[in-house]
Amino acid sequence: MKDMTKDILAGAESRRRNGSGDALGPNSEIGRKLKQYYDALVSDDVPDRFSQLLSQLERAEPAQKKD
Amino acid sequence: MAAVSQGFKTDLLGAIPSLRAFAVSLTQNADKADDLVQETLVKAWDKHESFQPGTNLKAWLFTILRNEFYSQMRKRGREVQDSDGIMTARLAVHPAQHGQLDLKDFRGALEQLPEDQREAIILIGASGFSYEEAAEICGCAVGTIKSRVSRARTRLQEILKISGEDEYGPDAISAQVTSSPAS
Repeated sequence: MKDMTKDILAGAESRRRNGSGDALGPNSEIGRKLKQYYDALVSDDVPDRFSQLLSQLERAEPAQKKD
Repeated sequence: MAAVSQGFKTDLLGAIPSLRAFAVSLTQNADKADDLVQETLVKAWDKHESFQPGTNLKAWLFTILRNEFYSQMRKRGREVQDSDGIMTARLAVHPAQHGQLDLKDFRGALEQLPEDQREAIILIGASGFSYEEAAEICGCAVGTIKSRVSRARTRLQEILKISGEDEYGPDAISAQVTSSPAS
């Protein structure tokens, strides 16, 4: 496949076998920064508009089913 | 059509922080990201019957969000990402001094990746999905995800001039940049 050729060209074959756990794991600077970047985004406060939106959608439901 | 259950609504609410993080990663813009999340929630609500209970809701939602992102991008002819000039602010990144890599530099480097590579490395390296799940979300082969993650990682290392990733063997970049390997 085309992708495989690209992999080999990128010299990434050995890293591929390590999987995400290693190649992007805690020993990897990229892996650490990636998680730091993403965790900061996840822990951002969620604006009210989203819970309001879901409540609106719920009210628009024809037949409510509570469980 | 069956009504949406309370449980589904609660699960949607719980998924919002992750959805927002993924949306920001894709759009690189907080406002657009929230619009994207909103669209995703509406779509998810409308097609809740197609969700198989017991399967991964987060993966299902990420798939919807991603499809929405690319369909918007196609509609707007790619201005989605470039309009605010965030992308065009190419930065001069200083070589990382033994792991003292600034988060701002990292964000800038991430922005320079093509979308397909950025989403792959985010899904695998940050959102906690398996290669199989990421392939499902992106609608491509597992090998394609692996190759995108690999290229993204190599590209980030190049942009950030990161050394010391030598537990996987020396690569051209680190050899070029430093002669004193980080511990």
